[in-house]
Amino acid sequence: MRGKEVVLEKVSAKFGDFTAVYPTDLVVNAGEFFSILGPSGCGKTTMLRMISGFLSPAGGSIRIGEDLMAGVRANQRPTALIFQNLALFPYMSVWENIAFGLEARGVSKVERRKRAQELIDLVALSGEEMKKPDELSGGQRQRVAVARALAVEPAVLLLDEPLSALDLKLRQHMRAELRHIQRMTGVTFIYITHDQGEALTMSDRVAVMNRGLIEQVDTSDRIYDRPSTPFVASFVGENNILRGRITAVEDGVATLESELGALRGRAVAGLAVGVDAMLFVRPEALRIGDESQSDNRVAVKPVRRDMEGAYVNWVLSAGEQSIVAHMSKAADAGIDHDRSMHVGFAADDAIVMAAGELADTGRQLADTGRQDDEAAV
Amino acid sequence: MKAVETMDRGDALLNIFIGMFVMFMFLPLILMMLAAFNSASPPSVTSWEELTLAWFPRLLAEDRLIGCLQNSFRIAVFVVPASVLLGLSAAILLTRLEGQATNLLYACLISPMLTPGIVLGIATIVFWRHFGVGADLYTTIMAQTTFIASFPMLIIMARLQRQDRAQEEAALDLGASPFFLFRRVTFPFLLPAILTSAALAFLLSFENYNTTVFSIGGSCTLTTEIAAQARRAHTPVINALGVIFVTVTVIFSLVYTLRKQWEK
Repeated sequence: MRGKEVVLEKVSAKFGDFTAVYPTDLVVNAGEFFSILGPSGCGKTTMLRMISGFLSPAGGSIRIGEDLMAGVRANQRPTALIFQNLALFPYMSVWENIAFGLEARGVSKVERRKRAQELIDLVALSGEEMKKPDELSGGQRQRVAVARALAVEPAVLLLDEPLSALDLKLRQHMRAELRHIQRMTGVTFIYITHDQGEALTMSDRVAVMNRGLIEQVDTSDRIYDRPSTPFVASFVGENNILRGRITAVEDGVATLESELGALRGRAVAGLAVGVDAMLFVRPEALRIGDESQSDNRVAVKPVRRDMEGAYVNWVLSAGEQSIVAHMSKAADAGIDHDRSMHVGFAADDAIVMAAGELADTGRQLADTGRQDDEAAV
Repeated sequence: MKAVETMDRGDALLNIFIGMFVMFMFLPLILMMLAAFNSASPPSVTSWEELTLAWFPRLLAEDRLIGCLQNSFRIAVFVVPASVLLGLSAAILLTRLEGQATNLLYACLISPMLTPGIVLGIATIVFWRHFGVGADLYTTIMAQTTFIASFPMLIIMARLQRQDRAQEEAALDLGASPFFLFRRVTFPFLLPAILTSAALAFLLSFENYNTTVFSIGGSCTLTTEIAAQARRAHTPVINALGVIFVTVTVIFSLVYTLRKQWEK
C-alpha cells in the first residue's frame, strides 16, 4: 500500500445559498498524516465528503495522485472513509466486514479470508473473527472499521472524527495505534477532528479551519507556537488576549499601546501602525515576581489559585483585564497570595496581529477565566 | 388510605373492562367452534344434541368448498410476491426521493388502501373488459394487489426510515455496486420487514371479501364461498373448517412467540 497526494484547487461547497466551504487550495502530501481541525460547522466534514466523492464541489477540482476526481463516483475513488459512527455492517461477522470491499470486487472466498486475516493481525483482533460488531468493545469496533477500510488498499484514508465516541483512555490509546498503522502502511491519512489534542499529537501537519475557510496549514509545533490568525491563536491551546493599538513595527517586533501600557510582541506580517490589534501570550509563557523582569511587565492582583497537578493555574487581574498564568510548583512557592505583584513575558513569546475573529470555545481566558471550563466538566 | 381505595376501585373497573373486551372479542369465536362439535344442523350451541367429530371428515367430501379453498391459495401465491415487490420498490422510492413530489406520490400510493374494496373490484373488471379479459382469478389477483401492495410499502418504509444511511455510504465507499450494496447490506436489514409484510399480504388476500367478490366473476374463493353458503342454510362443516383455521393460527403464533422467547 502506498499513499497518494491529494490536491485541492479552488474547491468550494454550497448548500443552497449557504457557502459551506469557500474556494480552497490545499496540498496533502503522499503518505502524510494530515488533520483538518475546526469547531463543529466549520466545513471540515463537507471537505471530507467532497474528497470521498459523496458530495460534488460547487467549484474547483480535486486530484488524487495523477487522477482528476471530477465525475469519478465514490465507489471508484482510491479513497476509503471511516465514518464517525463507524457504520459497520451489523449482520456480518468481523471478518466478513473486513472482507466486504474485496467481496464487492469479486475476490474469491479463500483469498478474502487470507487477506482479512492479515488485516486482523495488523489491528490485533485475532480470535474475534467470527463475532458480530455488537459483541465487540468500542475500541475493537474501531479497529474493525480501520481494517475494513484498509482492506481495499486505498491510497487515501479519510477519517471523520472516528474516536469521538470513545472514552478518554481508549481515545489516547487509539491515537497511538492509528499513528502506528499509518506509519506501517504508508497510506495518506486525512483526519477530521474538533479535538486539538488528537490533531496535534497524531499529525504531520494540521489545517485549522473556521467558517468554511482554512486559516492555517502547518506542523503541530508551528500551529501552537506561530499561529497566523487570531482564530487559530484562540482555538488551539490557551491564550491571554490583550487588546490595543499599534504604535510601532520594527524588525518584526510590534509595539501595542494597551490599557496596561505599551506591550511588545512578534509582529505577524501585514501589521501597520494605527490598526486595532491583539496580543496573544500563552499562560505558560508568563513569569511572576522576581523573574518578571522582561520585555513586558504588567502589575497584577491575584484573584484565584487552582492546583492543576503538574502546574498551578493563577487567575490574575490587571484593571478590567483578567490574565491567566501557569506556574511551575517552584515558581508558585514564591508567590505571596495577598499582595500585588508583576507578571512579565518576553516579546518573543508574544504574538501581535490585527484584531479579528476569535474562536468561540469558552477557553478565552482573558474574557472568561476558568469558571466555564470547570462548569463544563 | 383514600387514595389506595380509589386505586382499588380503578383496578376493579379496569379488570371488568378487560374481561368484557375479551368476551366481546372471543365469545363469538368460541361459540362458532363449539357448534362444530354438535351434531345439530344448521349449527347451534343452544340446542345441543350430541357431541360429535363427524363434521370434520365431511369437509373432505365438500368438493366445491375445497376447490374454492385452492383458488384462495392460487390467488395468494401471486398476490403476495407481487405486493411485496411493488411495496418494496415504492418504499425505497419514497424514502430516497426528496422534494414536494414525494408527498403527492405517497398519497397516490396509499389511496388504494383507503378506497372501498367494491370500487377497486368493479374498477378492475370494467377496465379489463375493454381488453377482452373476463372476470376470473387473474382479475382478482390484480384487484387485490392494487390495495394490498400499500401494506408492505408502509411496513418496509418504517424499517427503511430507521436505517443508518452511513452503512450504505460505507458500502459504496468500499467499492460496492448499487446491486451488491442492496444484496449484502440493505436486503438483510429489510428482511424481517419483508417477511412480516409477506405474512400480512397473505392474510389480507386470503380473507378478502369485498374486492374479491366483485372481481372474481363466476369463480370463488373460500371467503366468497362461505359467504354464499351462510346466506343459505348451511351445515356445521363450515364451523369445522373454522376450528381448523383457528387451531393452525394459534399453533403458528405460539411457535413464533416461543421462538422469540428462545432467542432471548
